[in-house]
Amino acid sequence: MKRIIAAFLLSMFMMSVAVAANLPKLRVGYVPEPAHGLYFVAKEKGYFKEEGVDVELFQFGSASEGIAALKAEKLDVGTFGTTAPLLFISKGSDFTFFGGMMIGGQAIVTRPDRLAELAGKNLKVYKGKKIGLVKLSTGDVIFKGALKKAGIDWKKDITFVELGSATAVVEAIKKGSVDAGLLWPPHFSLAEKNSGLKVAHYLEEYYPKYTCCRIVAPTAKLNADKDTYRRFLAALIRAYRFYKTNPEETVRIYTKSLKIDEGIVRNETYVKKVSESNPDPLRKGILDFWQHIREAGYIPQDYPIDKHINTDIYKQALDSVIKKNPKDKVYQQMLSFYKKNN
Amino acid sequence: MNFGHVHRIAAPSLMAVLLLVSGVMPCHAAGKFFRLGYLDHPGSALCRVAATHGHFREEGLQVKLVKFQDTASGLAALEAGSIDAGAFMVGEALGQIAKGKGFRIIAGGGTPTDTGPLASLDENHQGEQERRGIVVLVPANRPVAEKGSIIGLTAALIRAHRTLQQQSPVVRQATLQKLSQGATVPNIHFDPNPDYWRMLRIWQGLGLQDAAMPGDFLANHVYEEIYCDALDRLLIGPMDPVLQELFSKAVCTPNCCPANSGRLFTLQGGSTQ
Repeated sequence: MKRIIAAFLLSMFMMSVAVAANLPKLRVGYVPEPAHGLYFVAKEKGYFKEEGVDVELFQFGSASEGIAALKAEKLDVGTFGTTAPLLFISKGSDFTFFGGMMIGGQAIVTRPDRLAELAGKNLKVYKGKKIGLVKLSTGDVIFKGALKKAGIDWKKDITFVELGSATAVVEAIKKGSVDAGLLWPPHFSLAEKNSGLKVAHYLEEYYPKYTCCRIVAPTAKLNADKDTYRRFLAALIRAYRFYKTNPEETVRIYTKSLKIDEGIVRNETYVKKVSESNPDPLRKGILDFWQHIREAGYIPQDYPIDKHINTDIYKQALDSVIKKNPKDKVYQQMLSFYKKNN
Repeated sequence: MNFGHVHRIAAPSLMAVLLLVSGVMPCHAAGKFFRLGYLDHPGSALCRVAATHGHFREEGLQVKLVKFQDTASGLAALEAGSIDAGAFMVGEALGQIAKGKGFRIIAGGGTPTDTGPLASLDENHQGEQERRGIVVLVPANRPVAEKGSIIGLTAALIRAHRTLQQQSPVVRQATLQKLSQGATVPNIHFDPNPDYWRMLRIWQGLGLQDAAMPGDFLANHVYEEIYCDALDRLLIGPMDPVLQELFSKAVCTPNCCPANSGRLFTLQGGSTQ
């Protein structure tokens, strides 16, 4: 009997290998942040294979390494923030944004004894303050964008201290060399847990639904095989539905895959909801982000970024999923969200 | 002009400059020398200050400086592999890159500046001065294993820049005067940043972009990642105003990630979990 079971399992395994071997492959690079977990949900629940694409995931230690691999065509897809692909595109690299992975997520962190002076919902509390940040990080770009929208001249009213890493920002806050600092997940949760710091505000409070990590691909590859990329996004759309409707299992998958403390994942994802895993390309958000980079003076020349955003593939993927599940509320909400933001 | 022709022309001058080898760093450790060519030009001063002030040694490099009298012979030596890196005039270097030479710019250097009252109004004159500035180049086919040496080299040049900036104007002028062995030293603006956007301005000014070139042709020859890595390395130490200013002007991909201790996957073996 054992032999029969073993033979059956072996044949099943061989069949799955054979099926996977016949599927078009995508090599997908990412950085380990909690909101990037849709990849692991889609992988673990078998959505990629069900949609007809064989995805291999590669974790990178930094966005610059990842985007270099994408440029060298060692990857077919990359999720390395918004700034890195924009910088490369503005220098002539032919990448196209075609999906998203994370919306929101940045926080302003301070020492507990400084929390009271930053209370309230008005950005004017930051006037005269010294803020530590990692230059060109999403927090840097979006916070400056929010200040501009609020009519605050940050070049005059706020001192920004550019630091080399999230760790350096935490140290500067602890030492008091800055009044507060901008951090992203899971760094602000770790700063609270390990260093006793406090989140004063999430940037979402000032700038709703801003774009964070985007999904990009080399344009030539994307255009040559749109159907495979559509299948890839369809799997992520289904993973988004799972994430919205199965919190506990999602926390388990995120925690196991990203090796991040389970409490932090649950807190950021479902309790405080500081960021959202969402595959929508968020075209308007990308264009706003680019505008904020330009306004901050980081890039001296404008560039037609809109030519490097493809929302059609996502729309086709969403339509294909809705066609199979026409009454599903999550997918209908995704459609409304798409129409508003693209 | 093919390479063989260039080689025949360049060979005598190459021999001549190799005889001018100078500025050998004091070095007690056994190991390979990094051969850094430099143009006999005040804009190359960062290379020489890095040698005389021990900044290469601070970065763990044993550097042999090789002086060249002109950029053409320096670039030929770089292409031939008789030097590992070189500090030469940017206009000529970009011209060679446009012709298909496999060089990558890893750092900036000194650019002559005219302080005359009409200087800032004359764009042609400004462009000409920019083209006469110095950049540091390496061959593009340098093995990845030596990336660490190139980062170290760039970090040493940043240290040299800091050394010059921390000197009073009088002392700085005396330093540059000493390096030029008494010759008149023009006003020089030093900046170790390779600065893609400045390169693009010079590139466009020289009309070097060909319709057949890919859009990122120049970007592929300006290796800003090296400069950013070198700057990051120095920022681990105490922050000072010179470093802070360089950091503030650099456009580097933010180091966004990760705080966890999870296993990192490499391209040799992806995760199929």
